[in-house]
Amino acid sequence: MSIDFTKKRFLVIDDQPLARDALRSIAQTVGAFAVEFATNYQDAIYRIRHNIPDIILCDYVLGDGRSGQQLLEELRRFNLLPDECIFMMVTGEQSYEQVVAAVELVPDDYIIKPFSPEKLLLRLERIIARKNFFAAYYKEKRQQEYARALSILDAQRNSEAGRPYRFEILRQQAEVLLISGDAESAEASYRNILENYDFPWARAGVARSLHKQNRLTEAREEIEQVVSKTPHFFDAVDIKASICMDQGEHAEAQKVLDEVAKKTPRNYLRKRLLAEAATLNGDMETARSTMADVIANDTMPGAISAEDRLNVARSHINGNDKISAEKVLVSLRDSEVQNFDLATQASYAALLAISSPERGKPRFAGLRPALLATEIPPTARLDILRAALGIGDHELADKQTAHLMSGDDAKRTFNTVRSQYALHGREKDFREIQRQVALKRIQHDETPAT
Amino acid sequence: MQDLLDILASGVHDAKNQLFVAESLIASAELERQLDLGEARYAVEAAAERLSRTLTAYRLLRQGEQASICPVIVADLCAEVALAQRRHLAAKHIRLSVDCQIVDECLFDRDLVTDMLNNAVQNAARFARSEVRLSAWLDDETTVFRVIDDGPGYASLPPPFGIGLMVAERLAAIHRRRGRRGSLHLSNGGLLGGACFEVRLP
Repeated sequence: MSIDFTKKRFLVIDDQPLARDALRSIAQTVGAFAVEFATNYQDAIYRIRHNIPDIILCDYVLGDGRSGQQLLEELRRFNLLPDECIFMMVTGEQSYEQVVAAVELVPDDYIIKPFSPEKLLLRLERIIARKNFFAAYYKEKRQQEYARALSILDAQRNSEAGRPYRFEILRQQAEVLLISGDAESAEASYRNILENYDFPWARAGVARSLHKQNRLTEAREEIEQVVSKTPHFFDAVDIKASICMDQGEHAEAQKVLDEVAKKTPRNYLRKRLLAEAATLNGDMETARSTMADVIANDTMPGAISAEDRLNVARSHINGNDKISAEKVLVSLRDSEVQNFDLATQASYAALLAISSPERGKPRFAGLRPALLATEIPPTARLDILRAALGIGDHELADKQTAHLMSGDDAKRTFNTVRSQYALHGREKDFREIQRQVALKRIQHDETPAT
Repeated sequence: MQDLLDILASGVHDAKNQLFVAESLIASAELERQLDLGEARYAVEAAAERLSRTLTAYRLLRQGEQASICPVIVADLCAEVALAQRRHLAAKHIRLSVDCQIVDECLFDRDLVTDMLNNAVQNAARFARSEVRLSAWLDDETTVFRVIDDGPGYASLPPPFGIGLMVAERLAAIHRRRGRRGSLHLSNGGLLGGACFEVRLP
């Protein structure tokens, strides 16, 4: 295969000037005409956002506590890497191979320094061949046409041309099954891969599939294996923490996230998770300071979401600082709030009703009929419950509690709900709701299947 | 001991970065002045390989090295070894031929195995008269790599183990799958009549 690299735009990302020049020279030797530089993480993101290159050569060590791996994760998180764009990690450390062998999110390839222009060329040509092979599949996946994406993979799996990519095909199949919501099939696919070899990413996939099926004990067992065998696979710790939270083990979730967050101080997705675990664990100060760090330092445009601001407001309310909570909430523009979905609007109105009753109550009351009639995620339910208890709307509060205690999030939210009822002197009522939920469950279990 | 390993790894890392700068300068000079400095670049890469191998040997001796198993396209790996060695061997009038019969992806540590095969080809070329052959095939579920030459063969069997062979033997052994482990086999009198270096990975 011969590819014309003169028309390709290269972006070299390296914080060391000499190394940058070296990468540029090599790129030019393979025929690259246009080679741009990015000198640091932010610069790289800016350049990629504004003018997507064809080929990214990114050094693994970017300085300032950031790594090329983190950049890659961030680019994928914000959907800034089109399928056609090649991301090649460049590293002097052989140990990066351990990362690639373990983690779920990998670059198109990595190359160890020093390397010749010819070797780079060979690697780039192979990546292009692989991208061409998967092009039709990528297109369907991007458009969320999962059934079609899976049927393409099925056909490829049995084709002669697919033989060199058989593991990649299996991996993509499992991933698409999981994204499309078929957690049972995803689990089977990941287990099928594990029969070949105990890949940490595949075992983590099993754990995520089990988590989605709410089989928490099994999910926890699987992810514990991954965490203990591959301590540098940090995302596995995030998965473990999420499972712990659903098991009601908030202290463990906070502890493991805290340890990893110290090693990855600029990973703000992980910090958000830490804040969530701290909130559930009742460590309001950690939740508040962690969210403050996120808001101040997650500088990617669009990174700070409405949910983040609501989290900050929540952390202030938890810390009994209603004035600061109100400040955060009123800083959100009305036009912005009107565009929220119902659950986010409900959280906003509830938190405002708690921090500033005269401002928030009317909005909260306006939403009441919708809140009684609609399925709402647990975080918003907790906010509604809290506001409702505060204004003495027992019906609304108890309905949220009954929902929370009868669903998959019961263990996750139990402590918070119980403490809210205690705060309003309604422990007995809480126990009664629990009893009713348990009775209903027994009746449901005893009803013969028809 | 972990500290010593960190210091060594960091030193090797820095040295390899410097060697990369050197290689890129040579590549630029070749492009600008239409020179062929392939042997200079080969020497730079060989120096970097030695550094990596020494670090790997140290890790293996401390039994701290783990194989990073990934799916690998074996034909691509053989092509890379050929790319790295063929010109250097040709300068010594030795032909490097590659015979890869594996189409499917196989599971092993790409970087460690590539280094092992580069080293095996270099060793074979030191004694070969005119030809070195790298071949790869599947034997049941075992991936087999073989490097043979038309030289006089190993003077004794087993031959005295230098760093290269020691690393090769241990690297093979850290490849474990389904209760089996990799192995190294050295013999004489293969298809080309000389030494035969064979690695079997489960």
